[in-house]
Amino acid sequence: MTIGGIAIGVATLFALLALSSGIEGALEREIGGLGAHILLLPIGCPYTMTLSLMQGADTAEFIPQEAVPQVRATDNVRATVPVVVGKAKVNGKLTSIYGTTEDIFLTKDWRTNDLSGAIVGSDVATKLKLKPGDRLSLDLYAEESVTVTTILDATGGRDDTFVFIPLAVAQKVLALEGKLSGILVQTTNLSKVTGTRYTLAKIPGVQAVPPSEVFDTLIGLFDSVKQTLILITGIAIVVGVLTTMNTMTMAVYERKREIGLLRALGSTRREVFRLFVSESVLVSLAGGVVGLALGYAASFLLPRTSGFGIQATPHFKLAYVGICLLVAVAVGTLSAIYPAMMAARTQPIRALREL
Amino acid sequence: MRIHLDGVWKAYGEGPGQFWALRDAHLEVSSQDFLAIIGPSGSGKSTLLHVMGCLDLPTRGELFIDGEPATKKNDRELSHVRRNRIGFIFQQYYLNESMTALQNVLLPLELGKVKDRKRKAEEALDWVDLSTKRGSFPSELSGGEQQRVAIARALANGPEIVLADEPTGSLDSENGKKILETLIGLNREQKVGLVIVTHDAKVAACGTRRIEVRDGRIS
Repeated sequence: MTIGGIAIGVATLFALLALSSGIEGALEREIGGLGAHILLLPIGCPYTMTLSLMQGADTAEFIPQEAVPQVRATDNVRATVPVVVGKAKVNGKLTSIYGTTEDIFLTKDWRTNDLSGAIVGSDVATKLKLKPGDRLSLDLYAEESVTVTTILDATGGRDDTFVFIPLAVAQKVLALEGKLSGILVQTTNLSKVTGTRYTLAKIPGVQAVPPSEVFDTLIGLFDSVKQTLILITGIAIVVGVLTTMNTMTMAVYERKREIGLLRALGSTRREVFRLFVSESVLVSLAGGVVGLALGYAASFLLPRTSGFGIQATPHFKLAYVGICLLVAVAVGTLSAIYPAMMAARTQPIRALREL
Repeated sequence: MRIHLDGVWKAYGEGPGQFWALRDAHLEVSSQDFLAIIGPSGSGKSTLLHVMGCLDLPTRGELFIDGEPATKKNDRELSHVRRNRIGFIFQQYYLNESMTALQNVLLPLELGKVKDRKRKAEEALDWVDLSTKRGSFPSELSGGEQQRVAIARALANGPEIVLADEPTGSLDSENGKKILETLIGLNREQKVGLVIVTHDAKVAACGTRRIEVRDGRIS
């Protein structure tokens, strides 16, 4: 029961550390993976818009396509990537489609420069059993057909879940002619990004947001959730301390005769104290190891999203194992101090007589 | 080794319920002595033994170990005396039930981190004729055998004085006789001082010195 109590606390901590790290990494990767220095989004909540763009979800607000030439003409703009995203039936299955132009090749490290047909993410290709040369039928508000030109290598990111197609085709299928979900902008000189952002923000119907700002805000939101989880983990650990303290106190009472005998045979108070502390630390370490195994399993069973719709794989680090085992040792030591002091104060003869 | 009690008083409890178990006890015991302490139950014999063995300290008066006052010694020094210079034998044996005979005998040697402890423990068991029972647990041994394991445990560290609190009290007469012979052999052959608390007149008669304790006073 003691091992179980400690294991729950350590498991929660380990899963929390691994999942948090995974979610933070995924957010960084996904937002960085947009390949933009500035995001041009429709007027509205920039975080929702950014997430929709990353997830390929439908949105109600759009940028007029006429904004594209104005963006291209802006000083310090190197690449302008118009994007429209949404869900459509691809070979009969609802899939995220990503309509764009060949400008996207300036922001992606793909081994193709051909957007005459469909570039398919690895997850979609596996799900729909696609290979280069296959025909794709796209259907929502209009029906279109394109040929698969490339299957992308797995990235572990959002690109794996998209079908990239020419902008005009996507707009037709989604009935969004003349409308864009967003524009990704790359700048020539990064030191002038702020100035460029304010210039672009003057375009009507558009807001200019640096991805780093979105990332910081989303991480900030996630941190507040994480702090609540840390508090819950802290409570689980305190419960572990109290359970271990109770077990050790009971052990001192139950083993009073043994303690009395050890003292009679010449154990010092310090040795008796050390005996109980080391036993408690050993029990706690065992709980820690069980907790690590449980936490490892739990991190795969728990929901792996940050609430932002981003898939995240738990990220395990050796340091987390160290932190969890240190916490277990601390639990063992803290919870043993009072019972071990009780044991050390035992009067040998009184202890032997009582039993 | 010399244990000296100078006007020792020992009280248990406080206030109106306070009980004086020892009153103005004067006594001196050296290595090689064989002292028998007799007296009725509750007279203070065991308390006297516990004070002599540094298991309990006097409330008043002084206990001297080789001329040094025990009340001036710290816990580590008193533990050292109990571990290395004195052997204890109790009426209830107080063996650890989860340990074999050999492990029980090894216990004080491990506490003292004594070198070559397994050999020493085996020798102690040989001396009490229990070399064939070294792997047996206390529950597998008779009362007499358990008391012999306790004697081996008391002997293992090579004590200068053994303090035995009614060592034959829980045994039948035949086993009691064997234990007594073992203890007398210990005193005569190994030249270990022996203090036995007993209310058996036959056991007391074996001692080279005898004292009686009544109402906490030595007479």
